[in-house]
Amino acid sequence: MQTAVSIEEARRIEAFLYLEARLADESRYEEWENLVDEDMYYWIPLAPDADPQRNVSVTADNRKRLATRLAQLKTGVRHAQTPPSPMRRLLSNIEIERSANPKVAGAQEYAVAANFVCYELRAQSTRQLEVWPGRVEYGLRAHGDSGGLKMFLKKVMLVHASEPLPTLAFIL
Amino acid sequence: MAAIPDSLSAAQPRADGAVNYDELIQQDRIHGSLYTSEAVYRDELQKIFYGGWVYVGHESEIPEPGQFVRRTIGEEPVLLVRTRDGRPTVLKNRCAHRANLVCMEDRGSARSFTCPYHGWVYGLDGKLLDVPYPNGFTRDRNQYGLPVLPLVDSYRGFIFASFNPDAGSLRDHLGNATRVIDRTIAMSPTGEIKLTAGWVKHKFQANWKMLPENDTDGYHVNFVHASFARVIRSQYDAAAMTAEQELKSRTIDWGNGHTEIDFAPAYPGELAWLGLPDASRYPDYVQAMEQAYGHERAHQLLHDGPPHTVIFPNLFLAEMNIVIFEPRGPNECVQWHTPLLLGGVSDAVNDRIMRQSEGALGPSAFLLADDGVISERQQIALRSGQAWLDLSRGEQREIVEADGSRIGHVTDETTNRGFWHHYRKVMTR
Repeated sequence: MQTAVSIEEARRIEAFLYLEARLADESRYEEWENLVDEDMYYWIPLAPDADPQRNVSVTADNRKRLATRLAQLKTGVRHAQTPPSPMRRLLSNIEIERSANPKVAGAQEYAVAANFVCYELRAQSTRQLEVWPGRVEYGLRAHGDSGGLKMFLKKVMLVHASEPLPTLAFIL
Repeated sequence: MAAIPDSLSAAQPRADGAVNYDELIQQDRIHGSLYTSEAVYRDELQKIFYGGWVYVGHESEIPEPGQFVRRTIGEEPVLLVRTRDGRPTVLKNRCAHRANLVCMEDRGSARSFTCPYHGWVYGLDGKLLDVPYPNGFTRDRNQYGLPVLPLVDSYRGFIFASFNPDAGSLRDHLGNATRVIDRTIAMSPTGEIKLTAGWVKHKFQANWKMLPENDTDGYHVNFVHASFARVIRSQYDAAAMTAEQELKSRTIDWGNGHTEIDFAPAYPGELAWLGLPDASRYPDYVQAMEQAYGHERAHQLLHDGPPHTVIFPNLFLAEMNIVIFEPRGPNECVQWHTPLLLGGVSDAVNDRIMRQSEGALGPSAFLLADDGVISERQQIALRSGQAWLDLSRGEQREIVEADGSRIGHVTDETTNRGFWHHYRKVMTR
């Protein structure tokens, strides 16, 4: 059950999404991690309706594993991202709703969805341009009086998740 | 020592146009054209993928009659099907009329396969059952089925097939590897494994042979996986990342191209292979194993863990994962993986296996993402095909066992020599 949001809320949420996208594009992992809440789940399933308890995923990071992933990227010897891939992604078709049944009781949470396409140059090996299209669902939560947002879910549903995928060591 | 011959001349075909494998594959080195040549690749399809036994799938993927999975052997599309009488069979996925794929789904259940082009209907055993507008087609329908692969056999649920009726027996092909499959099955207290979690497919712009070579190379771990080691304490620290004299794990060439890294001698305790310090997290699993195998054997299994073994040419028993190698031309391949879920254990154990699988294998994993990029860099460096690759490491300290297997230090190229020795035998048959 979800309800509509005000224009001000929508603008604030869109600004958050664009910042998150830009930090990921630029491999700015410390700043990106600041956008993430303590119960974060970063998930790239093989199919939109997959069940992570029964189906293997491309990526299924809880908060701890995500922290390890980011730490690995920051070692300087993560060959699959050395050098980091230059990337630019576009977000579109953004739809925002306020959660009537938030994950954290009493919290102001939003269910957000968008289409995206990310262009990635595989600078570490083939130097070919990869195109990563899909739909992304975010779970966002407002914190404190200022209403600052944190992300507790990023579910990335690649159009071609079930097909052979090139190496994907960055944050999609 | 003989002078190194000019790499260009070695890459030239023989006078009869055939590739000279005896010259390209030597005891201590191999020629780069083996990774880049279209002619070599075409030869491999014929001799390895269509001429010998290849892994197709597991019984647990098609438990009921009518169930099927789509696979590719070499470049041939096939269907692994459980027929009405419960027997697994492998059919070419190609209509006998106008060569259309009769099945597009990756997996499913069917009573028959109907070609969507002109409506020809085939039974689960490949037999042609119906031809629409029958008056115009007067040929013998028995000659027009979906071709059935002449050899299909399984060992403890692992199903292999061959296009070549003269490929010999599966037991002869597996040789010492049957004991390796036994070790995989023994991780379950009921002897059941379930490959039901789906397959992640990871594409490499690299030759397929780099997959079996890299997967049983213990020498690269400390370098390719340095970033992993800095952020995660794992079983590989002791098994592959300490000083040369302290490393207790081993490389094994089992013969027939089957190769292993045996990590068990380096594991500090039970369930190290699940990334745990000891077995205390899963007392129910320990108890079930004790009941199934007796105390002593159960604790040996819990310590030693599953094998890390490539079965030539396309199956990798990757600890708690099953991996398939798919060639896609000389410069591209796909590594498929699925977690090795166990029968007779709690959901918590299988959940751990699933999460570990995602951590280790696939395009975004902590390990394989780096292997993938290194293989692609090799392929770029080899593009001219004019190079020699060294295979000599550890030749002088290999031990030959009574069963013919060869044992090396974990950093030695015993495994890669074993792969290439068998490859040369197959390619010069």
